[in-house]
Amino acid sequence: MALLEVRDLVVGYDQYPVLHGVSFDVEQGECCVLLGLNGAGKTTTVTTVAGMLQPQSGSITFDGKELRKGSPSQRVAGGISLSPEGRRLFPRLTVSQNLKLGAWSRRRDSKTLKRQMDLVRDYFPRLAERENQLAGTLSGGEQQMLAVGRAMMSRPKLLLIDEASLGLSPTVARTVWEVTSRIKADGTTVLMVEQNAGALPFADRALIMEKGTLVYTGVGDELRTVNLREAYLGSGA
Amino acid sequence: MSAVQASPGKEASAESTLVLPSVVGKPKSRFRPTTAGWFARGLAWAALAWFVFAVPGNFLSPFDLHGEDIGHLITAAVFVIIGLSLNILIGYTGTISLGHQAFVGIGAFMAAYMEVDLGIDFWFAVPIAAIVGGVQAAVLGAISLRLTGLYFALVTFAYGVFTEESIFGIIGFTGGDAGKAVTRPMGFQSPTAYYYLCLGFVVVVLWLDWRLTRTKGGRALQALRENPRVASSYGINVKAYTLLAFVTSGVFAAVAGALFAHGKDLIVPQNFGFELALSFILMTVVGGLRNRAGVVIGSVFFALMEGGWLFKTWLFDTVGVDWLLEDGIGLPLSFVPLVLGPILLILTLTTHPGGIGQQIAPIKEWMLGRKFDIHTGKVRDVEVTDVRA
Repeated sequence: MALLEVRDLVVGYDQYPVLHGVSFDVEQGECCVLLGLNGAGKTTTVTTVAGMLQPQSGSITFDGKELRKGSPSQRVAGGISLSPEGRRLFPRLTVSQNLKLGAWSRRRDSKTLKRQMDLVRDYFPRLAERENQLAGTLSGGEQQMLAVGRAMMSRPKLLLIDEASLGLSPTVARTVWEVTSRIKADGTTVLMVEQNAGALPFADRALIMEKGTLVYTGVGDELRTVNLREAYLGSGA
Repeated sequence: MSAVQASPGKEASAESTLVLPSVVGKPKSRFRPTTAGWFARGLAWAALAWFVFAVPGNFLSPFDLHGEDIGHLITAAVFVIIGLSLNILIGYTGTISLGHQAFVGIGAFMAAYMEVDLGIDFWFAVPIAAIVGGVQAAVLGAISLRLTGLYFALVTFAYGVFTEESIFGIIGFTGGDAGKAVTRPMGFQSPTAYYYLCLGFVVVVLWLDWRLTRTKGGRALQALRENPRVASSYGINVKAYTLLAFVTSGVFAAVAGALFAHGKDLIVPQNFGFELALSFILMTVVGGLRNRAGVVIGSVFFALMEGGWLFKTWLFDTVGVDWLLEDGIGLPLSFVPLVLGPILLILTLTTHPGGIGQQIAPIKEWMLGRKFDIHTGKVRDVEVTDVRA
């Protein structure tokens, strides 16, 4: 059984539905990328999985249990962690304070906290260099690393990363994606949201969204032959 | 388990070894003051200690301070506790209370009532007053912390006015307009001795406040001030922690009130009017939010300015400041805080967001044995999160 099963998910803001029945699986131990244009519903999908939005209908099953109503913090404790779009760091707290807050759900477990801290330091040596610096003074790339690192602090089973490449140079974006691959290799399942098709080589599987529905699901080598233009611009292009 | 293993293709693995330019550089060698430097710092500390400890006791001091003067110093110590209490609210959680005078007043009358009417000793009355202060803050907070920013401030304002008009009007509790006269505790009957006792309370509150910012709870408070929604998504109970800050603030304010009651010969409900709440906010913001030293200095300054006492002292008297204000521009000295306070507030919010704390940061760092750097502690913007509307 897949780690995350999303079935016929309908989510909207007020009366305007954004997702019209999205279904997909994320298998244990894989790295999935959710691609699509602006407004395709990518962020809506992951924020719903993270519990920040409530679906109008459909179901989300995580680790064999159906997630019904539940606050984001319950989802974090349950093993789903989101690195939000636009990073949403605590800019006037230091790097290490930001990281410790990411592990808030495990604050009484100093062993896990220390282990995750070491792990994040290992993933992002640059963060280790800057532990006492204020998060707001980091560069864009470092802030993104911190956002991913903070999400990893709760020791999630499923890591959701929303637009890690936003506003980053291709090289820095690649550095972040590479760490994503390492995180996957270390056993955490990853679901990335991207607009940038450069993330494709780092993923095992791609889901492509358009106007609130999934239009394409590709595995492994299919990724390299997929006609992205068609997926991005519609079949008429 | 390296990045190379996981990355697809040669090209990417070459990238993974890419080292971004580091701006950290080699660590600077630690600055150590010279012997003369240590001596100068020692002198500065000695001057500070002399001012805080020796001058009020008329020890090695050219001034001759009497009852009323010491009374102002006691008020200063009390205001420091109130400033720190408000700093927890405004500085750490970004909520403003316009009803803090009621918190202080409840602490004051609670202690007075217990000692005068029930005959309870000072050392029990103060903790009980603190608990009562905490409980009333918890009740008010549990109900009204559903609101934030301006609307929460309005509720606290209403609470302040309500308390003044109703609770402080209960003659059995406060003595009504006749007020309550409290005697100082055994061993601290002279104003000077009582001043030192208040200093002791200031030290305890400073320590508790320092502990509060160093713990997990303190981190949670800072996170929720920065961004309550993100904080809650990591599992921080925003409401509970804001309430915790509110209750802590209420406890400190009640302790300050209890000390205030003993500092005065007589307390009357009129002591706790709304102007006082304004002074409290002014002194905390002008002192510098989240800056303990700044808040302490700001509170002392505003306390000494109360009733214009500061301008009647030897220094200002010699220069003729009181004459200039009263006879020159016709401003009664007791109005000076209400004029000077807002001016300082405007200066703080527009040009020096860090308040007094920012101004003294270079001196503070220097006194702590670091290099004198005039740019230390510079705060560029007023933080929008300071007032969350």
